Amino acid sequence: MANLDSALKDAMTIDGAIGVALVDYTSGMTLGVAGGTPEIDLTVAAAGNTDVVRAKMRTIEMLKLNDDIEDMLITLGGQYHIIRPLTGSNGKGLFLYLMLSKSRSNLALARHQLRAIEEQLEL
Amino acid sequence: MNNRDTFLPRRTARQPAAPPPPRLPPSLAGNPSLPYPAIGTEMAELRLQIPGVQGSVLGGVDGLRITHDVPVQLDPDDLAAMAAATFGLGRQVSLRLGQGDFRQSTVRNHGGYFAVYAVGPQALLSVVGTDAINVARLHLHAPPVAERLATLLEQV
Repeated sequence: MANLDSALKDAMTIDGAIGVALVDYTSGMTLGVAGGTPEIDLTVAAAGNTDVVRAKMRTIEMLKLNDDIEDMLITLGGQYHIIRPLTGSNGKGLFLYLMLSKSRSNLALARHQLRAIEEQLEL
Repeated sequence: MNNRDTFLPRRTARQPAAPPPPRLPPSLAGNPSLPYPAIGTEMAELRLQIPGVQGSVLGGVDGLRITHDVPVQLDPDDLAAMAAATFGLGRQVSLRLGQGDFRQSTVRNHGGYFAVYAVGPQALLSVVGTDAINVARLHLHAPPVAERLATLLEQV
């Protein structure tokens, strides 16, 4: 089991990682961030992506799919963004947000590693 | 054992560490030369850009309403007065801790939020939001709005 800081540090060891954040999607506030660049403010990314997560969850609810989001992939020209809601009982209402450089990362491996980090994360 | 020892000592009045705040210029409320259309646009934009914002009130630090953008079920005069009360507490906390000017205060209730932002030294922007509001987004969006409102108020 890993605490928040070591989980974020682990996420930054994923190949191509630019930044990572743990976000509360009920408020849009971050519980922790790691990485990022001077141009990328992860708190802005967290607040914006909160709306993405909420919209997707609402859509699933409206479609009566009776299912949960495992993860979401957003592909940009030069980056991958992976959103992974926490599944543990103490992670309710939280999601991990990982930014990857498209050229330096292995998407399948990154997804796998992020899942492992999320499963190990204890708050 | 003396019964008095079991009680916490009474606090004695302290001399204020900082000088009292300076007297403020006359109230902005009811000033006909303010750029009301521009102020109204800024406040409407805030409501339209962030889902969950029910409305906002621009008031003076004296608790008097300057203008508002709230639906009928909310009383803008009450909100302006409560914003000033919130500001009063924030200012006292800041004076005691030596943390400078009041900037922002958020009240979260079971059914929603009430957030107050400083608009220059003389005015306050209070925002009422639903419980589902993305409050991080509000905190990113509202300070620049408050800054622009402060510039609009300064032009008078």
